[in-house]
Amino acid sequence: MRIAWRSAPGVVLMALAAWAQQPAGDVEAAIRGYREYLAAHPDSVQARSNLGVALARAGRYDEAIAEYDRALSASPDNPALLLNLGLAYYKTGRPAEAAIRFERASALAPQFKDQVTLLLASCYNSLGKYKQAIALLAPLEQAKSADPAFDYLYGTALIGDGQNGSGAAVIDRILSQGDSAEARLLRGTLKLRAHDYDAALADIEKAIALNDKLPGAHARLGELLLAKGESDRARTAFSAELVLDPDEFVSNLNMGVLAKRDQDYVEARRYFERALRARPNDPGVRYQVANVDLATGNADQARKTLEALIGESPDFAEAHASLATVYYRLDRRADGDRERALAQKLMDQRDAADTDARAR
Amino acid sequence: MRRWLVFAGGWLLLSGWWLLVRADGPEPKRPHFTDIAPKSNFAYRTDNNFTGRKYFPQTMCGGVAALDFDNDGRMDLFFTNGAKLPELEKTDPRFYNCLLRNRGDGTFEDVTARAGLLGKDLGFSFGVAAGDYDNDGYEDLFVCNAGRNTLYHNNGDGTFTDVTERSGIGGKPKDVLSVAAAWFDYDNDGKLDLIVSNYTVWTPQTDKICAANGQEYYCHPKVYANVAHRLYHNLGNGRFEDVTEPSGFGKELGKGMGIAIADFNGDGFMDVFVANDTVRNFLFINQKDGTFKESGYEWGVAYDESGNAGSSMGADAKDYDNDGWPDLFYNNLKGQIWGLYRNMGGKFMNYVSGASRVSRLSARSSGWSNGFVDYNNDGWKDLYSSNGDIDNMGEISRQPDTMFENVDGKEFRDVSALLGADFSHAGFQRGSAFVDLNNDGFEDLVVTSLDEKPRILLNSADNGNHWLLVNTIGRRSNRDGIGAALKLTTASGRTLYNHVTTSDGFMSSSDKRVHFGLGAEKAIASLEIHWPSGLVQTLKKVRADQILTVKEPAK
Repeated sequence: MRIAWRSAPGVVLMALAAWAQQPAGDVEAAIRGYREYLAAHPDSVQARSNLGVALARAGRYDEAIAEYDRALSASPDNPALLLNLGLAYYKTGRPAEAAIRFERASALAPQFKDQVTLLLASCYNSLGKYKQAIALLAPLEQAKSADPAFDYLYGTALIGDGQNGSGAAVIDRILSQGDSAEARLLRGTLKLRAHDYDAALADIEKAIALNDKLPGAHARLGELLLAKGESDRARTAFSAELVLDPDEFVSNLNMGVLAKRDQDYVEARRYFERALRARPNDPGVRYQVANVDLATGNADQARKTLEALIGESPDFAEAHASLATVYYRLDRRADGDRERALAQKLMDQRDAADTDARAR
Repeated sequence: MRRWLVFAGGWLLLSGWWLLVRADGPEPKRPHFTDIAPKSNFAYRTDNNFTGRKYFPQTMCGGVAALDFDNDGRMDLFFTNGAKLPELEKTDPRFYNCLLRNRGDGTFEDVTARAGLLGKDLGFSFGVAAGDYDNDGYEDLFVCNAGRNTLYHNNGDGTFTDVTERSGIGGKPKDVLSVAAAWFDYDNDGKLDLIVSNYTVWTPQTDKICAANGQEYYCHPKVYANVAHRLYHNLGNGRFEDVTEPSGFGKELGKGMGIAIADFNGDGFMDVFVANDTVRNFLFINQKDGTFKESGYEWGVAYDESGNAGSSMGADAKDYDNDGWPDLFYNNLKGQIWGLYRNMGGKFMNYVSGASRVSRLSARSSGWSNGFVDYNNDGWKDLYSSNGDIDNMGEISRQPDTMFENVDGKEFRDVSALLGADFSHAGFQRGSAFVDLNNDGFEDLVVTSLDEKPRILLNSADNGNHWLLVNTIGRRSNRDGIGAALKLTTASGRTLYNHVTTSDGFMSSSDKRVHFGLGAEKAIASLEIHWPSGLVQTLKKVRADQILTVKEPAK
């Protein structure tokens, strides 16, 4: 196909759009076409947006994101662009960035809400923001309870939030439609949380047998194996997850922790940085990075990170404890004594609450 | 055809392994361990009275002490035992404690009743500490209990007398579980003081039931309160004063397990490390004025490297890298990280579990008693741990002990499987003591295991390495010489360090004689002893392969 560039722009764009819907080989040709068109019409938001779509279809998400960003600089409140950009981030395993765009697209164009809800809930689950996922999904439960995808997201959020009874009900609903990897993974997770390791292992292994590409399944197996003290097998499981998704949060975090245990701090930092790509500013990961800094002699960098973490979360007891040690290393005894006292107070309070809860 | 291909692959793999081993050079000859307990006739089994109902203290049973109670030159053994529950009484001989006299021919004689150590009137017994608190030349015993603690004075005639009441050492808050103790002279006044590690407040009546899916399990420690450890100052004349509060020990509440005693900062005064279960660990640095400052944060040993308080169990402090500073080793449960910390010149500790490979080697084991021990006399202290899960659930709850061999003071390798079938016995191992039972210069092991007879593991002592055992006798210092720091320099200039203590691991008390493995070296250029009194004594040209008794100079 050859495009007559002198034709009316609308006609050309329609031709390119049709072209971009073709199989991959033609998508590449469409990308070239859009680029040529944009060389002549650099301000065309529509062409740039469509180029982004074509790039995304070709799996070139980073390039797509760049084009969407350029288009958005010209049309910042374009909900379709935001939705597309969110999808590109979602596809590249960057749920935090995706969630921001989905939230904004949904606010600007309520008609997108149905399209966005499940994606946004999935992002919230990935970010560990289970309450927000539940707030999105709970109103839809009656309408969507026959939809296994909905149930899987909803069950994940409920179990993540510790609502085990409600989570179990959702699992039963999924299983009533037949055995599935998703239901097994959810049930295994539930049992893992209840420290019923043998039963959890059976379910998670079955989930992987049913679908060895189910996102998060290998990571959950890794968590379980770690809880059982089988760190070598856990490493294998986390590595399998990272083959499927190099940015998967749980696997990167745990691989980082395992590397830190081995005092392989270079490797630990690499994993933690990847974990932070999935969950930017995650306090747990930043805390681990601060400990790597402390262990590698960067006490002042550790201090800055820990002080920032405490500024954001004053009740972060472990951060106070580490900061105490950092201050002592920096010869700031008074600060060390203060942080130590704070850490102790917070831990004592937590222990008291824990004792009370366990005793009940 | 497919089978053949697999077979060929297997051969290639094996060849690669062989080449790797060859590249490292020949493996050294290692001693192995043989259980000689079956040769002796004694009734003791570690009996925690498990009958299905899971009482919280049942997981901790089977303390062991190595001591020469009759001064015949052969180390004897004492074991603690459980009690009937919920009565919390030794209602039956199966719960009695046990003293085994070493006959010197590889067998032991049960002399418990004759010695007066059955403990019929005690509750559930946990740890034991051996030490000559009255400097009369005979090792005494302190037994930790649920119920009253007990001080047994060695009468020097093969019998012991319960002197708890008149000593003033028995006092403790009501219903506190005392699980371990260590003798040491914290004020260097020549008399042994006592630190007791307390776990929580518990009675059978307040025991909590924890269950899931209809199956009872041992409750998480956090169900129970934290308590202070207690320090008793030896006043002389068989009297002790509880100085827990004025010393500073009373300010810190934990769930005490093992105790390690060492002079961590080299100021000539003994410090105390207490491993706490699910609570941060304590390092009490001696302020040299009768008080201690808890300095776990400053020294970096309060938590693991991620700021977590694990289930710390046994503890020991010795110099594993021969740099002259006592390092620290504690173990904990599977999935957690056993802590190996390197003393950085008496200023703080560096966590080295990862770099030394201990974290990887220990991940599958739940450790209880532990310690540094140079089992092969190569001059490098290895890491031993008695293992077994808390509970009897799960496929690997019965576990074998582990020995991680020290490679040039830098890292460790697991040689457990190479130390003989008796060493590899899987069980719910608990207490352990290091002791040279046959005076051959190689450390033997004594290990208790729930619902089993103890294993008395004799070291085969057959790798040709040389050794020195030093029996210190204090004059101005406490008679045991506990706290004395020894520096040995071989003829080639290699320096080795150790100190006198009976406390290591969990619930256990080891041979007080200081052990040095010398590897291939037969000649010792000098042996320097820094006594707790401050005196420094130097012996030149000491012969290897002997038990050397050294008396502290009078002046």
